[in-house]
Amino acid sequence: MESSYETVVIGGGVVGNSIAYHLSERYQEGILVLDKKYPMTGTSGSTQAWVWVHNKTPSWYAEFSMYSAELYPYLSKKIGDVEYKRTGGLSPFFAEKDREKAKQLADSYRKIGIKIKVLSREEVLEKEPSINPNVAGATYSSIDGNVNPFRLIDMYMRAAKKNGVQYSTYNKVTSIEKQNGTFMVTSDKKTYVCKNLILAGGTWSRELGNLLGIDIPVNQLRGQIIVTEPLKPFLNYTISGLRQAINGEVLIGYSMEKAGFDRSTTLDVIQETANMAVHYVPSLRKAKIVRAFSGIRAMPEDGFPILGKVPGHENLYVAATHSGVTLSPLIGTLLTELILDGETSVPIDRYSLSRFA
Amino acid sequence: MVMETDVLIIGAGPAGLAAAYETASRGLDVTIVDESISKGGQLCQQTQILRTLPSPFLAMRGYELANTLINQLDEFSVRYLLGHRMIGTYKDGSIGITDETNVFPVNPKKIIVATGAAEKAVPFPKWTLPGVITVGAAQTLVNRDFVTPGKNAVIIGSSDFAMDVAIQLSDVGVNIIGIVESLPKILARDAEKTEHIMQRSIPLYLRSSIKEARGNGEVEEIDIQFPDRIMTEKVDLVCVDGGRTPILDAFYQLGCSFGFQEELGGWLPQYNEFLQTDCKDVFLAGNAAGISSQGALLITGRIPGVRVCEELNIISKQEAEHERASHWKELENLEAKLFPEKWEARLNHIKNYANPLLKDQFIS
Repeated sequence: MESSYETVVIGGGVVGNSIAYHLSERYQEGILVLDKKYPMTGTSGSTQAWVWVHNKTPSWYAEFSMYSAELYPYLSKKIGDVEYKRTGGLSPFFAEKDREKAKQLADSYRKIGIKIKVLSREEVLEKEPSINPNVAGATYSSIDGNVNPFRLIDMYMRAAKKNGVQYSTYNKVTSIEKQNGTFMVTSDKKTYVCKNLILAGGTWSRELGNLLGIDIPVNQLRGQIIVTEPLKPFLNYTISGLRQAINGEVLIGYSMEKAGFDRSTTLDVIQETANMAVHYVPSLRKAKIVRAFSGIRAMPEDGFPILGKVPGHENLYVAATHSGVTLSPLIGTLLTELILDGETSVPIDRYSLSRFA
Repeated sequence: MVMETDVLIIGAGPAGLAAAYETASRGLDVTIVDESISKGGQLCQQTQILRTLPSPFLAMRGYELANTLINQLDEFSVRYLLGHRMIGTYKDGSIGITDETNVFPVNPKKIIVATGAAEKAVPFPKWTLPGVITVGAAQTLVNRDFVTPGKNAVIIGSSDFAMDVAIQLSDVGVNIIGIVESLPKILARDAEKTEHIMQRSIPLYLRSSIKEARGNGEVEEIDIQFPDRIMTEKVDLVCVDGGRTPILDAFYQLGCSFGFQEELGGWLPQYNEFLQTDCKDVFLAGNAAGISSQGALLITGRIPGVRVCEELNIISKQEAEHERASHWKELENLEAKLFPEKWEARLNHIKNYANPLLKDQFIS
């Protein structure tokens, strides 16, 4: 493996892979992706993998998410079947007083062209008969869905490799220096020289930034997910908190905890999660839980993506975000435009790292 | 409501029961959890005679040993949670136990994990057809459930256990078409077993393996591959012996570190000479500490039992050291002579205590 590259992407998660793939699609040569472990061993491999737009606030962030969700069918055509299903998303509420809030959300979305319906109890039960009959209503958005994250990343990688992207895994970056307009990226295995450097370290973004003396304010949030035995297909929609995979397993998760990089599971949360699931879908009471896992999510300090050029550092880019699965097609596309064309088709100024300065 | 106990033992098999005796007989309050509704673990269906047991036990059949271990606990304070499982840990460190309906926390001073071993299967094309089972499963069906698992069987593997099961199947009228062994020699150490097999005119096929199974919805035929030919046999039962491997889920949940010892069954929790893991207050016993003979398993239950009593100030340091030395001596007698490679691996494993291969598995 040579040591000189046009572009090095640090981080082989869903975000880093999407950027590498989209760059290679535009015939950029000399791309290397570095991963401290292996793609899918971190956040991207421990997620329910919703492609989720609705309930994202404020509406400009929902709009951004919608553009990405819109790209999914096209992406599947390009890189192959990633088990993307636009099931539609249901966010049930159980108190009548929440209807007003739901209506306000729908109104604010309508202004930017996202259709959200506020459903009556009867409409919810007609769409999703398994929901708790005590439901008061739900917000519904037809653009929501889910994807198989393992297939997604695998397909990104296959397509990227076909286009000449190289990968070096189990290879942690230990220092980064800037010399004469190039970056020297030193890792466990080797030192690489590159013109463009993209920091896509997800939960480790803060640590990566520190190597360059840059503050990338991304924190860790733990989410615990429980998985049922495969059940016959009975959930039609992606419901906030749970979804049924193609193999019949139902993935359930509501929790968010601060636990640093500790991805163990605790019965406290597992039991809460199970109770929540039974509250939403009572028939799940009979389902057997076959495993539980935690994912450490990347959460920028203000909750919004950190995207684009790093101010004051030429040819240095950052892409760190929550909801990486939803946003990956768009982030890959826009970062590629930024690097190759110098501008983006959808404005990303709002997401600049400079907002924290 | 939290259940408090001095010692929580996961697993009511031979090692768990031996650990229970060490602790309960000295006055500790002991709680034993087992997913089965009966005590004794895998011993209950073992009708073969176990010859190398530690004192005071004389040679006896497996189920007799189970009864002996159970009965000697009768007079002590032991709480059995049968039909219960450990399914995880709470944030505060207490252990989550389920009766399959509810989950409740148990807060023990010490935990001894004696979860035993799981059989490994031997894969070949169509190995998932119904009728292909492990040798242990065949034994359970015959001896516990009184069900004959088939009429015409092939046994894959020639360990002592595979031979025992071949004999037991033959005893209940199953026609054993052959014993298939990939090595050029029989693995069983007990020559008497091989003799029994010979007397029954059961063919032993050395240097052979299963090429493929076939069947519509169940196994009907298998191809046995020899160096120079393939033999096809009509069967409705294939019993595979792929050896055993420690059951590690509980250790994983408790956050223990792991090492690897091929001779002891592969991955196993890292432990020291007290059979104590690197998690405070978590001990282990039996096959979970390395696959070994029944006799050795009992002693690996006694060693952590003694340490728990010492740490809970039930016995003095001197007494504990004395007990420990004698248990280790006996373990050496039982293991080093019969299974020198296991003994070697065990000593090696203990030596590696401070350098586990896998630790902090939950830190990403």
